[in-house]
Amino acid sequence: MEKTWKRIVSWFALALATVVLWIPIYYFVIGAFKKRTDIVKHPLTLDFSRMSFDNFTYAFKKMNLFKALGNTGFITVIALLIVIICGSLAGFAIARIHHKVFRVFYTVVIALMVVPFIGALIPIVVLIHRIGLYGSLWGNVLIQAAWNLPFSIFLFTGFMQSLPKEMEDAAYIDGCSTFGIYLRIFLPLLKPVTATCCIRAGIGIWNDYLVSNSLLNSARQPTLMVAVYQFFGQYVSEYGYAFAGIIMASLPIVIMFLFLQKYFIKGLVAGAVKG
Amino acid sequence: MAKSVAARKSLSGLERSRVRTGLVFLIPAALLCIVFIVIPLISVVVYSFNEKSSVGSAMTYVGLENFKTLPTTEGFWQMVWATMLFAFGSTILIVVLSFIVAMALDSKRLDYISRNVFRAMWFFPCILSGSVVGILWRIMYTYNNGVINSVLKSLGATPVNWLETYGLTNFAVIIASVWSQMGLCIVIFLAGLQSIPTELLEAAAIDGAGHGQVRTHIILPMMAPSITINVLTTSIAAFKMYELPWIISKGLPGYSTRLLTQRIHFFGFESSKFGLGSALSVILILVITAISLIQLVVLRRREDIY
Repeated sequence: MEKTWKRIVSWFALALATVVLWIPIYYFVIGAFKKRTDIVKHPLTLDFSRMSFDNFTYAFKKMNLFKALGNTGFITVIALLIVIICGSLAGFAIARIHHKVFRVFYTVVIALMVVPFIGALIPIVVLIHRIGLYGSLWGNVLIQAAWNLPFSIFLFTGFMQSLPKEMEDAAYIDGCSTFGIYLRIFLPLLKPVTATCCIRAGIGIWNDYLVSNSLLNSARQPTLMVAVYQFFGQYVSEYGYAFAGIIMASLPIVIMFLFLQKYFIKGLVAGAVKG
Repeated sequence: MAKSVAARKSLSGLERSRVRTGLVFLIPAALLCIVFIVIPLISVVVYSFNEKSSVGSAMTYVGLENFKTLPTTEGFWQMVWATMLFAFGSTILIVVLSFIVAMALDSKRLDYISRNVFRAMWFFPCILSGSVVGILWRIMYTYNNGVINSVLKSLGATPVNWLETYGLTNFAVIIASVWSQMGLCIVIFLAGLQSIPTELLEAAAIDGAGHGQVRTHIILPMMAPSITINVLTTSIAAFKMYELPWIISKGLPGYSTRLLTQRIHFFGFESSKFGLGSALSVILILVITAISLIQLVVLRRREDIY
């Protein structure tokens, strides 16, 4: 009897805390459908008859959303491709081939994992100017790829070290080249670690504000987070627009989270623990 | 005998070709890392001993001048204090609150489905970007029209100026960062809690230990490694944080919530003092690297946890 009682109380305490945690989310999601006066006067009430998609259509037009979405999508996809290809190649060399060079490289990679991007920001801006990539999406792609590489190399190396050596030996006897072994034997096995890598790096790149704000001309080449922030800066008191904007900018990641929850948690935790 | 020598020779031939291929494999990654990470890191150290005022301008060597001027720049010590307060405040709050929530989530009283739903709900804010969280909380904190003050007013309390009160604004920024980062810590704590062998808890129960005793004498010591990991990762994240606190408070009032990362950005983009900005960057890199090294040592020792 006492046990059931305790069970109910602890369930409700947790549920209450969860509700408190979710009030901000509830507030901005319903706020995105409300008029300004309603957001201010009745912030938490739900009245469908007074709600509309007006904020979304307005924000959509003013934010240049398609362009921002295209730019962010381009940067994320290309940078991830580079990270996966370079990371798995380097990880293969480090994990499967024994030579001093690879061990030294791995140590350097581990050291680079801890360096904060903001610390190198000033010389990076100078560098990107010098090589003529300032304002170009490619500059952004290269910076994102490079700064996400060390951690991916770390993940790929760890994963490939755990695979048995016999597979390689058999392939060599059959006359396979080293590149063939990487391509035909290892690459197909890398799906789980690639997923972890993509999610961890992908969320970071998608949500990035600092890199694109520093390296791109925000008027000509907006990325999502910069566009959302500027949009907010322009209409500071139009909360509805801002809410609609942040919903649209977060939606792709949120939808992916709903379907790939397990990978998300794994990817982000791996990043936090080792990164 | 002759056979084995030949075999060894061919093996070393294969090994040599493998090393050659491996080096080729390494080139793209090495190139990217060297050009976009290592060279900027070397440059930031070089810049910190020089004066440089624009992207194209030449450098003039000034020795340690930048490091000496830095503490005398306006608001420097306030920003150091703001950064420390933000880093330690948010770390302590995040770790303590996450631990409590993780204990509740791990409780045997929860069924499988509600545990997973709750876990996903607590994790959710982690996937939102720093600028999204910043905009959201800035709007909620607004004095006249923000939801927090409306709720306070409807409860009969006086509204609070969250965004421009010395001391309170630091707290407001910390709350937003706690909200957005607890999920990660909770998940790490949950993994730690699940790694405690149930035999241990059962044995304690048989010996007549109460809930409180189990908590302080078994769970807490067993959770020490997860606590260390969370403290280190959260404080590193706090020292690196840039846009979330910036969007919420703009560093106001005065310099009281302005973080060192924001100052680096200011030196680099607004006042064009690359030397000073680089000197500050070097200091920040050293602080974060020191914390990370502790983390790596701890993790090496407790590799079995993850």
